[in-house]
Amino acid sequence: MTGMDAIHQILNGGLQGYLVVALLLFFLGLATVLLRRTLLLQFMGVELMLNAANVVLLAFARFRGGDAQAMVFYLFIIAVAACEAAIGLALIIGLYRHRDTTDSDRAASLKQ
Amino acid sequence: MFITFALITLLGALGMLLQKNVVVAGLCMVAAFFGVAGLFVLLANPVAAALQIIVYTGAIMVLVLFVIMMLSSHQEEEAAVSHPVQRWLSVALLAVLAFGAVNLVLASPGVKALAVKGAEMPQAMTLQTVGTNLFADHLLGFEVAGLVLLAAMIGAVALTKRNL
Repeated sequence: MTGMDAIHQILNGGLQGYLVVALLLFFLGLATVLLRRTLLLQFMGVELMLNAANVVLLAFARFRGGDAQAMVFYLFIIAVAACEAAIGLALIIGLYRHRDTTDSDRAASLKQ
Repeated sequence: MFITFALITLLGALGMLLQKNVVVAGLCMVAAFFGVAGLFVLLANPVAAALQIIVYTGAIMVLVLFVIMMLSSHQEEEAAVSHPVQRWLSVALLAVLAFGAVNLVLASPGVKALAVKGAEMPQAMTLQTVGTNLFADHLLGFEVAGLVLLAAMIGAVALTKRNL
């Protein structure tokens, strides 16, 4: 595939376009987790990565002729993401109670 | 249409990465989730788009914004120790990984074949199809997901309650 052809595919929303958007979304989420220190922002980065996985899943499902199995897995991923949100935020609140901070660098040791 | 929603998604995510104020970063995240919902509509999947808006922007982000405001941690705290080398290394590594992965996707013959084969639009996903599939073939998984949600709920209450 030549370069112009690839760009055309991406801009018109072919399968490659969705995959590239999902990849960039994943790497932006990963960058948020690595570069920001606030636990709440890192948590949002994890959510972003989960969303990128969902985009890839549903993009492949659509290009395989509307596979309904993907929707089932999408539902399970959403359920796990919701659990992760509840537990993660509870842990952040617990950390804030003990250390008075939401900065992950300041929570580097297990001992108080 | 595709490029509009893709731009909303990516700019929202970029805004979240760069924004200093945590609340504004959360709102950028909401924009990114709406963009993803738009992408799901373009993928002939209105059910997933509705779920995306209800669960992510409606439930998860509201929960996160509540916690941000409850802890009043609107600004990022000053760094205790700065790690400039590690930060630049991670940026460089991410850039290399992203470039490699995008190249891999664009060069893959399998992806290209699938894109050509599935080019015509399939029937839009209906709630009925999803429900039939979920309850006919994945009933056990559905029950387990319910159990996991219950466990998470109890765990969250146990973790946040001061004296149980």
